[in-house]
Amino acid sequence: MRAGRLVTLAVAALALVGAGGTLATHRTADRFDHLQHRRVFPTCQGCHPGAEDSSRSFWPRAADCARCHDGKIEKEVTWSPPVESPPSNLRFRHYTHAEKASAKLPADSVVCASCHLAQGARWMEVRRGNPGQCFTCHGIRAEHLAAPDTACAGCHLTLVEASTLPTERIAGFPAPPSHREGGFRRRHPVSQTCATCHARDFCATCHVNAPEVEAIQALEPDPRSLAIKATLESPVSHVAPDFVQRHGKQARHTPKSCATCHAQASCLTCHVAQPEVAVAMHAAGPGRSKGASVNRRRPAWHGDDFTNRHAPNASSAPRSCAACHARADCLDCHRPNAASAPGYHPVGFVARHPASAYGRETSCAECHNTGSFCADCHKQSGLASRGTLRGGYHDAKQSFLLGHGPAARQGLESCVSCHAERDCLTCHSARGGRRFNPHGPGFDAERLRRRNSQMCTVCHGAAIPEQ
Amino acid sequence: MRPPARVALVCAVFSCLEVGAAAAQGYRLRLDTRFQTVAFRGVTLDSIAEGDVVVGPGGGPVTADGFAVTCTPASDFCQFYRPGPRLSSDPLVTSAELTVWGLGVTGLSVHGNARWGTDLSGDDLWPGTRPALQLQQAYAQYAITALTGRLGRQHVTGRLGWTGIDGAALTLRWPGAGLDLTGYGGWGLARALDVPINSPSLNPLDNYQLSKRHVTAGAVLGWRSRAADLRAEYRREVDPLVDQFISERAALTGVLRPFERVSLTGGAEYDLAQGWLGTSDLTLRYDAARVSADATVRRYRPYFELWTIWGAFSPVPYTAIDGSLSVAPMKRLRLRASGERYWFDNSGAETALASFEDRGWRASFSATVQPDPSLTLDGTYRKEFGPGAALQSWDARATWLPTPDLTLSVFGSTLSRPLEFRFYEAQVDAVGLDAGFHVSDRLQLAVSGAKYFEDRRRLDAAAFDWNQFRLQARVTWLFGSDADQIRLPPAIRGATRQVVR
Repeated sequence: MRAGRLVTLAVAALALVGAGGTLATHRTADRFDHLQHRRVFPTCQGCHPGAEDSSRSFWPRAADCARCHDGKIEKEVTWSPPVESPPSNLRFRHYTHAEKASAKLPADSVVCASCHLAQGARWMEVRRGNPGQCFTCHGIRAEHLAAPDTACAGCHLTLVEASTLPTERIAGFPAPPSHREGGFRRRHPVSQTCATCHARDFCATCHVNAPEVEAIQALEPDPRSLAIKATLESPVSHVAPDFVQRHGKQARHTPKSCATCHAQASCLTCHVAQPEVAVAMHAAGPGRSKGASVNRRRPAWHGDDFTNRHAPNASSAPRSCAACHARADCLDCHRPNAASAPGYHPVGFVARHPASAYGRETSCAECHNTGSFCADCHKQSGLASRGTLRGGYHDAKQSFLLGHGPAARQGLESCVSCHAERDCLTCHSARGGRRFNPHGPGFDAERLRRRNSQMCTVCHGAAIPEQ
Repeated sequence: MRPPARVALVCAVFSCLEVGAAAAQGYRLRLDTRFQTVAFRGVTLDSIAEGDVVVGPGGGPVTADGFAVTCTPASDFCQFYRPGPRLSSDPLVTSAELTVWGLGVTGLSVHGNARWGTDLSGDDLWPGTRPALQLQQAYAQYAITALTGRLGRQHVTGRLGWTGIDGAALTLRWPGAGLDLTGYGGWGLARALDVPINSPSLNPLDNYQLSKRHVTAGAVLGWRSRAADLRAEYRREVDPLVDQFISERAALTGVLRPFERVSLTGGAEYDLAQGWLGTSDLTLRYDAARVSADATVRRYRPYFELWTIWGAFSPVPYTAIDGSLSVAPMKRLRLRASGERYWFDNSGAETALASFEDRGWRASFSATVQPDPSLTLDGTYRKEFGPGAALQSWDARATWLPTPDLTLSVFGSTLSRPLEFRFYEAQVDAVGLDAGFHVSDRLQLAVSGAKYFEDRRRLDAAAFDWNQFRLQARVTWLFGSDADQIRLPPAIRGATRQVVR
């Protein structure tokens, strides 16, 4: 909690510092009040000679200001002209524009006031030039951001060319209306005009196949382009309820389409056991998007007790399981880990297992080798037989040993978790002991003898009866 | 090997795996290390003269202070177990799962699973830690649309159960017809364990055991469509030393989906060696967002390999009908109920000397409440009665996710467990804590501890305590060229089970 508060304070402090910096920048930019000086300057070129003459500075000299602001006539001011041009992605240069305009248009038809004074404004009530004014003069009949793609490059440098433009300005680029149209993210024709605001790095935010797309590769790389955030949007087709079931066929037929947004990791998130299905996809790496994130969800039809009832489905449709599950998932239970916390079984199952084991709610032998697992533990616990049989252990039943037949046939798997064959052969052998016949009703001796006569010899020796 | 040396070996294995994997082209490596420490009461073998034996409350022979004894005709002494010293076992198991692809041939991949375990206490008391190194899978696979071929140690799964082979498998597919045919064969591995059938670790009771590995072969024919999946299986296992069957079985299994949300699953096994129908079942299930229900009829018959004599003892099957219902009457409440009734076939061995239960039932009720998305409360009541043992238990668990990456839960349970064949009814109470931390998509940690209190409710000296404490810890590392994308959603499995990530 305490660390969280510190982080919050730090973030707040950084935000304040950032906001302060922004405000300071704005104050500096608007410091000179043109309107207040409207009676002093009859022309623009007096202070901005560079607007028409490229050999001269665009800015006035500090000494020019000091002619009035000398501390006697007016209070002193501290000002110096900017050393560098302000960062911009405009192709516009005042003197070039003036030269071209004067060459093409009647004299004095284009003056500073054409762009920097609103209609009806007072002298020197200047404003920044705006794109709308450019469009009006140049005959482009559209809003700024709705202009044809071909128009952008007329005024703007590409993002890469505008190398002085800071990341914050790029992040604040307004999105054209076209970008907000439905489906734009899914289908957007690529042209060089995209380079006005974007660079290759931006495309690779989403496009896993960026290195393979010529239009993307035609763009210059520029990490500043990542200041504009892009997010992947799921196509309409992906929303269909049965998309998960059907997507495999589509992926096989049009792998390039999938590879636009999906990297190998998208496939392998679910297809952990089938890495080959991801072969057609690109692996995420430099110059590519990491791909759409795919969430692996438990199918609704698994319900909440699927662990207990998955066997028929798994044996009937193993390929369905393999689509999402690796064999290691199965091994967690089917090959129990000696150091494992409870997984399939409830907590404390050792204490409660007799009821489940005697009743064979599920087949223990499916996951546990009764020889190495049950018998081993029972032996450690003093439960396993030591090769001799006489009443004692099963002390809740009178004459258990003499009447144990029904219990043994019902729970033979439980018996063998404590008893070795020799325990039973003490009585149930045709070659010695009491020669009690262990075979139940309907025992098919001939069938068993054909399959494995060696088993018969354990009790019968070489004299295996025909029936 | 002394514990420090074992720890060093574990570290070395970690290091080697990591370095080796880093050089692979396309790979996924998952290392999972689990540790458990368990303390429990040991037993000590003791004996008394046969003349000192008395008749116990159950009618059997006991010592004067109440320990059940086993007497042998050939000896003048009877043996019994006294409570022994407190024992502890500290199994440490590291599993490595590796998949490598991008080997220059499209469709070619290599898969491996290995597990190395040891008991750090040095006593090897805990089951499942031997043999120390278990290679569960190690095969090369070539997979294209029309076929999949595998070579190496692999598992064959299906209605006839899991079995391992060191051999080859080939699956041919005709996608248009929805058909696939698989054939496999190789040297077999033991049931439910990836060691050969003649491994000494499989024979703690010094039973008869095969001296050579058996051979396993089989085939599976499958057909699938939108409405159904059907499979027919055949498997045989042979002892090559005497060229005789260890098993020969066939099975049919299928899933029908006649309507949306409704499925009919079932299957049957037939033991060709014994000539009887094995375990079979048929389940009708309905699944909807708020209600799911199923009804099942099943028949269970244990299966024994023919190299043992147990199949000749004619184990009898039981038939069961069961059903379950899960309802979510409100968004954050789910109620479940399930029940089963089962009865054994006539064993043909009844005598007037002793009577045994031959039918039983099970029922459980549980509720899951989620008052807050980060808090889940779960309770289960279960009651079971049947041959051999009965059970009645209450379980409760509260799971809290203070952050999406941290899971904390506390649980408790109480159960009573009467036995049919032994003279005591244990009462077992347990309390514990689980914690799981998803450090990153590549690293997960979990720790769990529980204390068990057992009262055997015997009136004699054999009612010694079986109290124990268990502590488990788990670290899962994921390495791979794209491993950062993998993340399974947490699933809360109920009061009696822990939250699994």
